[in-house]
Amino acid sequence: MDWPVIKALALASIVIAAPIGAAAHQLVVFASVECEVVTVEAKFSNGRVTQKGDVRVLDGENNLLTTLQLEKDGTALVPLDSVDHSSGLLIEVDTGGHDNYWIVTPEDIAKKCGS
Amino acid sequence: MKHHFVTASLVSLLAAAPALAHYGMIIPNDPMISQEDGRSVALTMSFSHPFEMDGMMLDTPVAFAVTHEGTTTDLLGSLQSATVMDEQGYTLDYPLERPGTYVFSMVPQPYWEPAEDAFIIHYTKTYVTAYGDDEGWDAELGLKTEIVPLTKPFGLWEHNVFQGIVKMDGAPVPYAEVEVEFFNDGVGATVPDELMITQTVKADADGVFTYAAPSDGWWGFAALNTADYTLTEEGSGEDKAVELGAVIWVHFEEWTGQ
Repeated sequence: MDWPVIKALALASIVIAAPIGAAAHQLVVFASVECEVVTVEAKFSNGRVTQKGDVRVLDGENNLLTTLQLEKDGTALVPLDSVDHSSGLLIEVDTGGHDNYWIVTPEDIAKKCGS
Repeated sequence: MKHHFVTASLVSLLAAAPALAHYGMIIPNDPMISQEDGRSVALTMSFSHPFEMDGMMLDTPVAFAVTHEGTTTDLLGSLQSATVMDEQGYTLDYPLERPGTYVFSMVPQPYWEPAEDAFIIHYTKTYVTAYGDDEGWDAELGLKTEIVPLTKPFGLWEHNVFQGIVKMDGAPVPYAEVEVEFFNDGVGATVPDELMITQTVKADADGVFTYAAPSDGWWGFAALNTADYTLTEEGSGEDKAVELGAVIWVHFEEWTGQ
């Protein structure tokens, strides 16, 4: 599945979840790639670290690959060799009251892995 | 929503007038970059009369940098020469590696303006937020002179007010004069009177000014003060005054409600 499809899936997910996330402060989700691992970061828009939350990692086919828990510092690590990332990754973070997502594209991974 | 009127011919006549407001400009392709927009921001730097879309030569700046999460990075060597409004300008495609607010700043070479018998130096900056994180939107860079935003300098609706503090050497400038001008790029705005090309507001005793933009688009705020030093004008060999401008560019969004 290509990048636009992943994006469409992500947007659909957001639309479904929108009523849950209707709070004054937003959840900011970001993921950086270091070739071997993806570091997921979550914080609230007021600057507070998100200390608890579910992290769902999906592939481009919207298949759930793995589920993790945020650490107390608002991060979670996704080893790339543990998931099929060939079509990119959709990473969702859900705190129960807020949720958001970040898309790791195949280009993001290729750029960091020098390929 | 835009309300513009009067004839373009008037503006054309005004273009020949000498006392137009100058603005250093840093204009990004978008002040709020989301992950769907990509992983970089495209910047265009110029020196102009922005309402008239009248470009002037922007020599290689003395400094061009970005500040993010308290760290300032020199980008001067990354600028690409470009023609902007028919004059020398620069562009830069800058990768946004992490979320947060990126403050781009430029210190130009002194611009000799014979009509004003003075040099002009505009310390110019623009705030860009990446990936839904606005942390750092009120960052102060410590420039010689700058406008420190009291209102988040992006994500504003048209008709919202923008507030900032005018500072010189880190201290507020009481009753500073702030010129405000619209970047008339692709809009074709006209004015009923030349006085409305550049509007002027004064700061209060604490250096705080307020302006409500009548339309969406890019609005430039230039707080002008005279430097406590002079520069020598090569032609005459005389020492001339230096106008120090603290410039910030703020984008107002079109109201999308009914």
